[in-house]
Amino acid sequence: MMRRLLSLVQKEFAQILRDKALLFILAWAFTGAIYTAGHGMSMEVKRFPTIIFDMSKGTASRELISRVQMPYFKVLSYIQREEEITEWLDSGRASMAIVIPPDFQRRINGREDAKIQVITDGTISMSATIATAYLAQIASSYSMEIMEKQGRFTRAAFENLPIIDERLRVEFNPNNLSSWFTSLLELLNMFTMVSLLLTAAALVREKEYGTLEQLLVSPARLGEIFISKIIPTIVIVLCLSILSIFLVLKPIFNVPIRGSLLLFYSIAAIYVFTMSSLGIAIATVARNLSQAMMIMLLILAPMLFLSGAWTPPEAMAPWMQWASHISPMRYFIDFGYSVLFKGNGIAYVWKDVAGIIIMGILLFSFSIWWFGKKTAS
Amino acid sequence: MHSRIYAIIRKETREIIRDPVYLGLAFAVPVLLMLLLGYGLSMDVKNIPVLFYDLDCSAGSREYMHSFTNSEYFRFAGLAGDYKEVEHAIRSGNIRVVIVIPPDFSRRLNKGRPAQVQFLLDGSFPMRAEIVKGYVSAINTQFNMRMVSQYLSLKGQSGNVVFPVSVEGRTWYNPSLESKNFIIPGLLVITLMFYPALLAALVVVREKESGTIFNLYCSPVSTPAIVFGKAVPYICLAFIDYLVIFFMSVFLFHVRFTGSFLLLSAGALLYIACTIGLGILISVISRTQIAAMLITFLGTMIPSFLFSGFMASITSQEITGQIISRFIPATYFMGMVRGIYLKGLGFNYYLWDLATLGLYASIIYSIAILSFRKRIG
Repeated sequence: MMRRLLSLVQKEFAQILRDKALLFILAWAFTGAIYTAGHGMSMEVKRFPTIIFDMSKGTASRELISRVQMPYFKVLSYIQREEEITEWLDSGRASMAIVIPPDFQRRINGREDAKIQVITDGTISMSATIATAYLAQIASSYSMEIMEKQGRFTRAAFENLPIIDERLRVEFNPNNLSSWFTSLLELLNMFTMVSLLLTAAALVREKEYGTLEQLLVSPARLGEIFISKIIPTIVIVLCLSILSIFLVLKPIFNVPIRGSLLLFYSIAAIYVFTMSSLGIAIATVARNLSQAMMIMLLILAPMLFLSGAWTPPEAMAPWMQWASHISPMRYFIDFGYSVLFKGNGIAYVWKDVAGIIIMGILLFSFSIWWFGKKTAS
Repeated sequence: MHSRIYAIIRKETREIIRDPVYLGLAFAVPVLLMLLLGYGLSMDVKNIPVLFYDLDCSAGSREYMHSFTNSEYFRFAGLAGDYKEVEHAIRSGNIRVVIVIPPDFSRRLNKGRPAQVQFLLDGSFPMRAEIVKGYVSAINTQFNMRMVSQYLSLKGQSGNVVFPVSVEGRTWYNPSLESKNFIIPGLLVITLMFYPALLAALVVVREKESGTIFNLYCSPVSTPAIVFGKAVPYICLAFIDYLVIFFMSVFLFHVRFTGSFLLLSAGALLYIACTIGLGILISVISRTQIAAMLITFLGTMIPSFLFSGFMASITSQEITGQIISRFIPATYFMGMVRGIYLKGLGFNYYLWDLATLGLYASIIYSIAILSFRKRIG
């Protein structure tokens, strides 16, 4: 029995290794794609395209404007007429307009409250929210300085005021680097996509060519045929992911790998098995690769985009939170960030591990049952 | 010549219609995707679960906690008993913010001195952490203002503390900052990027694998006729999908739509021509169906999500990201779609985008035609 399985696995390996283009794409997926995602995609708001309408034209407004600068803001123009705001924002060339009222200087000198108006483009509301917060920070530190200059306050006076002294620490990613987040996410995405696609395609191809019948009449059992499709995927994905951690994540992005790699890779192997079983299940249902692709897209897109990485569970509707429990990737994302990023041990992730294993067993048994039923009839 | 294109179109259409499962999926998949992602992909940073570690346990600290839990952004998720619980909460990922209130909190504030409050943020998703940071300091500022004016009026000074410069934010086009107003139009762009590419990715390579491509090789049909003949039925199919998605966005998701439907449809037609062309190009250059499938999935799904400006504006990206975004047709369509939906601008604002899409399409089809060689081996 072991011999039979071994020769089947050998055949699968030969088929994959023969396809040089395929190997190249796989290698790219785990290195180049992760590099471009981590390096190119930044979620920090930088160079936010801004225009300024300074109606006050005093020293105070100039001083304020000089603080609105790179890397957070890129001032594109100082406009002279109010209608220009509409033109810049409509055309999308600018996303923020800062309007300084004519009485700005006077109100500051008079120790009154001087308001600046900020108009943002709500079609990109997330970046706009962050950019407005940056500007509020600039305004408040400028305020402090004015108060100090006007002698209303000294720094020392803050020692004698009942205020909150905010000590903020961002855990796990103190500098809020999005390259850490994106590169790790892309690695976990690749685990998901490649395991599913590769295994499903390998089985569908045999169906399309009609070679599956040959395997079925051979002494090999159904479970063995499926396992022989899954093992090469596990080996290839694991090897490639080792490459990506040691060639891309660690040396290029300095992603801190805080947890145990042994734990990560052993559970990752099970995860590849689970996703491959999903691929097998799809392949048993689909008649050709076009159909299989549609079904895989339908499963992959929600899985990747609703994995919990972009959309935290607390932002989801309750039924969606519940539904997300059938996605193996949800468990894997939790597990991956928890172990690699936060350095957690098995005590924190056993639920995720259980989820991955249970989904894998269910999917694999479903495939055997469904396929057996179809070939028997 | 015309009858030859027509013959290819008829043959392709018949092939699509003959596979009713495929045809059914071709319509069902985008609908289901929009439903799942449209309801699931909520980027609102609201109801963030916050854990308090209150070492003070006084009326003052309770009032301070209320200033957080009363806002729609934070949700009270419990009180920690000891520091180990704090550590565990942030590691487990169930809690996004921990606020540690020191034992001398109200004593210091009552004496008119600053009190240190520690904030621990979960940094596993940097963009969320950045937004949470902004919320925290906004709430603290408000609390401080209240405390200081109370304190000063107690001391008999003018109770009105005027902060010299403050920012008054306004958002155009999406005043309520509802995330669905920018997510759903964005999803339209993204779905119409990878979905048509996927529909068309196998059209040529499938014939290569089954060998029927030789019929085309030795027929008198010219290469452009083959490429366009294969593209047209899929463009029609994808355009119907566009209509379905559009009507879902307006009538099911109630996204504000202020622009011209005709203009949007014209843009969509060009855009779909691009993405179908992308699929055909992949199909022409790959040798096996598996390779074509992997290239399409890996090359369109995640990049369109990351680099089209859907998540974060392109101006914030590093140079690598900006270059990649130029190669993705979604980038050119994204601004247009959001503009038409929310800004309601006319034709002349999008001339440039339409021209770029047209140019993109002609380049893609030219490359596809040039790489389609009628040769054996």
